[in-house]
Amino acid sequence: MRLGMVIDLKRCIGCYGCQIACKSENGTRPGTTYARVVKREWGEFPNVKKLSIPVLCMHCNDPPCVDVCPTGASQKRDEDGVVFIDREACVGCRACMMGCPYGARYFQDETRDYFEVGENAYEQAAYSAHERGVVEKCDFCRSRLAQGEEPACSANCMCKARIFGDLDDPDSEVRRLIDEHGGFQLNPELGTDPSVYYLPPER
Amino acid sequence: MPKHEAIDQASQNDNEDVWIQSACGMCYNQCGIRGHRVDGTLIKIEGNPDNPIGRGRLCARGLAGIQLLYDPHRIDYPLRRTNPEKGIGVDPKWERISWDDALDEITERLATIKENDPRGLYFSGTVICLAPLSHALATFLPAFGTPNSFVSDGHQCGNAEHILARTLHGSVTTNPDVEHCDYLLLFGCQAGLGTYYALTTMAQDVADARDRGMKLVVVDPFLSSAAEKADEWVPIKPGSDGALACAILNLLVNEYRIFDADYLLEHADGPYLLTEDGWYARDPGSNRPLVWDIDAGKPRPFDDPELGQVALEGAYQVEGQTCRTVFETLKGTVAKWTPEAASEVTTIPPDMIRKIARDFGEAACIERTIEIDGRELPHRPAAALYFKGAHGHDNAWPTSMAIELLNEVVGASNVPGGLLGTTPVCDGHPDTGFPRWKPGANEDGLLDAGMLLYNDPYGVVPGWPPPPTDTELPNLRDLIGWPITTCFTPAALTDKENFSFDHKPELLLNYGSNLLMSAARPEVTFEAFKDTFVVSFNLHSDETAEALSDIVLPDTSYMERLDPLPNFTRHHHPVGLGNWGHTIRQPLVEPLHERRHFTEVLLELGQRLGLTETMNLLTNNLYGLVAPHALDPERTYSWREISDQAYRSWFGDEHGLDWFETNGVMRWPKKVEEVFWKPFVHARAPLYNEWLKRAGEQVDEIVEKKGIKGVDTSGFFPLPDWRPCRAHRAREGYDMQAIYYRVPWHTFSMTYENPWLDEISRGEPYSYFICINTKTARAKNITDGDPIEVEGADGGTIRGRARLTEGVHPEVLAVANNGGHWAKGMPFARGKGVFFNQLLPMDLEHSDLVSLSMDCDARVRVTRMAEGA
Repeated sequence: MRLGMVIDLKRCIGCYGCQIACKSENGTRPGTTYARVVKREWGEFPNVKKLSIPVLCMHCNDPPCVDVCPTGASQKRDEDGVVFIDREACVGCRACMMGCPYGARYFQDETRDYFEVGENAYEQAAYSAHERGVVEKCDFCRSRLAQGEEPACSANCMCKARIFGDLDDPDSEVRRLIDEHGGFQLNPELGTDPSVYYLPPER
Repeated sequence: MPKHEAIDQASQNDNEDVWIQSACGMCYNQCGIRGHRVDGTLIKIEGNPDNPIGRGRLCARGLAGIQLLYDPHRIDYPLRRTNPEKGIGVDPKWERISWDDALDEITERLATIKENDPRGLYFSGTVICLAPLSHALATFLPAFGTPNSFVSDGHQCGNAEHILARTLHGSVTTNPDVEHCDYLLLFGCQAGLGTYYALTTMAQDVADARDRGMKLVVVDPFLSSAAEKADEWVPIKPGSDGALACAILNLLVNEYRIFDADYLLEHADGPYLLTEDGWYARDPGSNRPLVWDIDAGKPRPFDDPELGQVALEGAYQVEGQTCRTVFETLKGTVAKWTPEAASEVTTIPPDMIRKIARDFGEAACIERTIEIDGRELPHRPAAALYFKGAHGHDNAWPTSMAIELLNEVVGASNVPGGLLGTTPVCDGHPDTGFPRWKPGANEDGLLDAGMLLYNDPYGVVPGWPPPPTDTELPNLRDLIGWPITTCFTPAALTDKENFSFDHKPELLLNYGSNLLMSAARPEVTFEAFKDTFVVSFNLHSDETAEALSDIVLPDTSYMERLDPLPNFTRHHHPVGLGNWGHTIRQPLVEPLHERRHFTEVLLELGQRLGLTETMNLLTNNLYGLVAPHALDPERTYSWREISDQAYRSWFGDEHGLDWFETNGVMRWPKKVEEVFWKPFVHARAPLYNEWLKRAGEQVDEIVEKKGIKGVDTSGFFPLPDWRPCRAHRAREGYDMQAIYYRVPWHTFSMTYENPWLDEISRGEPYSYFICINTKTARAKNITDGDPIEVEGADGGTIRGRARLTEGVHPEVLAVANNGGHWAKGMPFARGKGVFFNQLLPMDLEHSDLVSLSMDCDARVRVTRMAEGA
């Protein structure tokens, strides 16, 4: 089994729901956005196009972050291909951040709070699941997967532009969509074989 | 612990782990949510899959609500101003007081006002808090005896749309039936693509429809979220959407002759004859409007059982007058709007106008039918929809009418594939038949809405627009009573030249609105209420509180309160087939600190003022409570008891408050006859607004008698036409138009205090900047990121940083929402984004008096500022 995600650039309206669905599921600190949206614009008025491109950890089949991690904290799960960080083993050297070509990793430094008066009741509860001095990133919501649920970003997406499933299963919806609409990976030339595929915005 | 777990009564205990169903309140849409509470702390909000409103999916705002609940800058205790000076930017020097002290003082002041002249109580509210706002408008305020209410975001509301939603669709709002639609034409609107009603549900449906191949054409000066997804983006000069719609109408009815004659004959007033003076020609005996019977060769009442074939087009001699049919008159009225003429004002090439008209008309597939649930129905898979971008101008009325009539002429109105009213027909729950409402026809055969509408200054009544009566009310509800909301009050109070009132605002009760920022230029609102005792129910000590308020009371957020009918099952409910969803809003946590629910405080104030008896009767009226569930006027009820009675009355004794607290939402399937009701209800949509022509004459009489010069009814068009808005008028040196647009992750200005939503805007390229077309900027020596100053021809100056983009009309500056807070009590929001409303005066001259909409754009000039200025 190889878990992966299809992001349909035709359906996505760039609402940033995924960024906040992720934040509220994972209770991440300021500046940490496992899921986020990149906006691009090209052309000349009035023939101009804008595109919203949701991004997250690409869960590469051949992840460079795992290769460069000196402690073995960055790992890829054998059973489903999910790339994750073992927090206990992470020493915060940030080599993986240099190794990741997709900018999907966030170092948890000591300084940031949303409100200058400090953490509120929610943040105190949420941040207890996190540690300072380590690197964090999207792990396809491992805790949700363990309960048989899909990641928070795809579960919530109000345009159903994020579809989660098993890339190895020829009958899965993700595989069908990739085959039917010419799904592509970002920066395939890097050779990391991402498990996140995109469907073209016009078809 | 599984989800859907009932609320645990021992809620704040350790080892608690519960999911609670409720309704969102981050915008007016009230989507279904569920909250996860662990050991007394809310740790997650997500969409409730059991609720048809959102079907388990939320927008960024709804997901971020938790940071509003626990915002450390929320008001937690009643506060009293100690600084006697009021003013914009003045520190009120709050001191904490007790609830008892606060309510004692408010009661004393209200009792005096009630005794002297109850109209001295003014009320302002916000549509975001729909249920508590409605409850106050329908119970406390009429019981007290004041008609002086207004909604501070009233001109940001769809006022013109609401009038037409009522006259044409029997509703308050509209949405397209995208499930059966092949061509969606949006004018300054982002339905299902960023904002607008039922967003979270519509987003799913619009994405499905686009995936299926529905064409999307978006008319907008700015390359918005919706325009980004369009098959065709049509950048238009702001405020000229009506001219484009008139040209499309002209092409459809005159050049291409694509229209649904059967619909116009049977379901609209298309065949009604008009006299030379523009009134319905009426039967002298019955006063019924006349149509031309071709077979009989004479006019007959529209409902004459003997009628033969009826003429849709042409002119006929009736009683010595040449009478044209309504449809013939429409054809004549729009004939001057050639694509070339429209191109001159819209800046859209004539060929593109032709293409849109042709595509829209052909997509409507006149005469096509579809079978749904065994019923054969007309199928018109084309819809045109509009919102603030199109009608946020002082030509709101004719613009909105022209766009609405695109649907009407092709029969794409309340049938599959077309534009649908939002829940105009409800036959009720199958077990009880409640709640229920349905449009009917008035004596002229015209559509009469069945659901409760808010058009009476004293409360809530169904029916046709009330005639103009007087100018005693600063909200103009006596003169112009048909718009659903108004924010004209501050303008009238400060316009001494045109208005004088025999009473003044002694006390302003403000619920949740930040009227200083949201109405228009803050100086107008401040001037209107600077000598008034102001009591605000607020989440934050916002600009209004700090400048004006004497007492601020800590309101509950939507996560801390009970609202039994957050959307009354009427407003902003998804259209189309699917389920009804009757939803509860209940506390996800008990109110923190000393926060109290506004509605409960009003019940207590009502009791203190001796209003309980009247309020109970009005509550029965609002919720339609009948025996044995009607409130006893003699008794005092808690809010929980009232909520329980409302539920039992509608859904039976087994479905009281307890049931809703546990189950969250009552669902039942919608019927085809409810959703696509037009073929089943014989009530004609008025293309011709005779009522408005009459109202215009009545208004003229009243203002002439009163000597009011500034009220101009020349825009009370009975048929679509177009005229420039205020911001189009040439002003030397002012070469651009400034507009605001809306982003999917902010609601007006309130969400700028939310750190998660702020994080979006900081990472997004446009929304904290002033967008300017690249070539325009270069010609003005402005480069990306430069500090710029935008100066309004009618006053006001705003500042921000330039974002150069190809995605905006060359004559336009575009600002997201309305940011730039300055209140000390909203430190997180302070200085974020741009305060657009500073450019908007609020007066008669900048208003569309039919809908009480304001011109929400401005003629401006832009200059580059020195860095660090």
